[in-house]
Amino acid sequence: MANLSGLFDSFDNLDQIDINSLLIWLKGVPIVSVQLENYLANKILYPATVPITAIDMKIDLAILREVLRLNGPKIGSLEESLLGDNPFLNTTLRKIIIPEKFLSFVPDLINLTWAFVDGLLLNRKKKDLYEDLWTVVLVGDSDEIVGSVLLPEFGSKQENLDISIQGENYKIKAGSLTRISCSKPRCELAYTITNGNILGKNAGAIELYGGKLGLMIDGRMY
Amino acid sequence: MLYAPVRLRVERDVIVRIRRHLLGKGAINVSIGSQVSPSDIIGTAQVLSGFRIINISQTLGISPKDTENFLKRKIGERIFKGELLAEKVDVLGRKKIITSPNDGTLEHLNEETGDLRITFLSKKVELPAGVFGIVEDIDKIKGRVIIKTQASIVHGMFGTGRVRDGILHLVGKRDQLIDKSFSTPALEGKILVGGSLVFKDTISSCISNGVSGIITGGINSKEYKGMAGGRLVFPKKLETEIGISLVVCEGFGSISIGSDIYEVLSEANGKFTTIDGNSGKIFLPSFEANSLNKIKSTVLPPISQDPLYIYNKYQEQVELKKGSKVRVIGNTYAGEQGNVIAVDNSETVLASGIRAHLVTIETQRRKIQVPVANLEVIDYSF
Repeated sequence: MANLSGLFDSFDNLDQIDINSLLIWLKGVPIVSVQLENYLANKILYPATVPITAIDMKIDLAILREVLRLNGPKIGSLEESLLGDNPFLNTTLRKIIIPEKFLSFVPDLINLTWAFVDGLLLNRKKKDLYEDLWTVVLVGDSDEIVGSVLLPEFGSKQENLDISIQGENYKIKAGSLTRISCSKPRCELAYTITNGNILGKNAGAIELYGGKLGLMIDGRMY
Repeated sequence: MLYAPVRLRVERDVIVRIRRHLLGKGAINVSIGSQVSPSDIIGTAQVLSGFRIINISQTLGISPKDTENFLKRKIGERIFKGELLAEKVDVLGRKKIITSPNDGTLEHLNEETGDLRITFLSKKVELPAGVFGIVEDIDKIKGRVIIKTQASIVHGMFGTGRVRDGILHLVGKRDQLIDKSFSTPALEGKILVGGSLVFKDTISSCISNGVSGIITGGINSKEYKGMAGGRLVFPKKLETEIGISLVVCEGFGSISIGSDIYEVLSEANGKFTTIDGNSGKIFLPSFEANSLNKIKSTVLPPISQDPLYIYNKYQEQVELKKGSKVRVIGNTYAGEQGNVIAVDNSETVLASGIRAHLVTIETQRRKIQVPVANLEVIDYSF
């Protein structure tokens, strides 16, 4: 078995990560900033090593979130380019692009996708209402669409989103993170939200991509 | 079959070239082809004066504007190392004194801060060969001699600082934390072998005490960043210099110096050593006179092509099998070394959720299981 290239050797600016930003993702993890700095530095030294413990995995995911944030599209960059100017987020086609090899280091596709959402979309100012819906693509030898990410806009913290997908009904609370299984290539979704909207409307039906990831709904209020 | 990358850490008794530099302007006393032994003086230099600033008012606990009244020498006068520089006697008759740290001249007193600047006198410094060997090249303008010699080479992970030499001095066990208390003026010119972690305060104190270099297992990344130009980029491209040379053998955080490296350093304790922080290498010359035969008979590439020993970093991988000597890399079990006693044929799901082939290693203290991706082979000679 050949040695795998690492999760983090795709990035050459890991040393620019702010440790305090990392600590925000690691609430409840027993680690202090000096240890975290050394952990990160050893990752730079040995990017192909794999996390052994559950805590190591949490730290690696926190590092991934922050390094994606550092390497995500920047305001004023050539976001209008059809092919996209960023390897992880195509803002023109509204695609989240996950390198397939990352699954060797973070096998849980749901956690990996949340890391991409946190790193690339959290606090991102939406340019238009179409940025409420993103398609998730795994990129390797061939591209595979694995699901969608929905970012509803809630008017208040008490608001609920009612959705129906493949005959099942769900109530999504504002502030929650939800994943709904939807293995078909295309899934129909109907929604109502009293005080808020999706794609500019408070009720409607949309068709979105499904797959092995399914639908992920980020109900956090940015 | 499972493979792991190879890392070369220790090379014993290889023929290399080392550089010897005069510390200032001076003369080289040997010629190309000369055979030298460690105590031979190969050059002499006049070391130009540096200076040192001592805050007299803070040390004596007096007002800066009163400092001159407590000086025992006048500005412009000469003073020699150990002579009384300033003195304060309190009402109970207790004395506080400051002695001169070196031979020099009292150059300037700042009455606003209490800082006294002492300019050191220039002095003659001899350059010993330090090794058994043959002189291969001389640069009289730069005051540099290249000697072909036999040495063991330790390849550290990374470091900082130019090529320096000195007597190797073990200051603690390989797993000991090295704090400021280990640094004393008696260690001037020496290369210290520390333990698992060396602190910023220790490094600062060693610079003040004129220590040539420090060899350690680990260092905190923030402190290394501060010494290496603010970035952690490997292999490091820029050469950096902070007044001391540092070689880190294992990685970041508190990591004991590996037993393979510590063994060879222990054998060289008290002997002349060269340390190159910027390339992370330590040269431990052979002190056996019969090494000269091997030095004479070994042909190295011409100096024009290969002025110094060039290490071709191993990137290849070798098959992991029972008996392979390995080292754990990454963050869990970092730096532990041992022999492979079993290699799993099937994958195991780790606590992190990753599926990986595990390798069982027997270290000096225990048996551990580690994924193949977190191992490197350090002895592939069997």
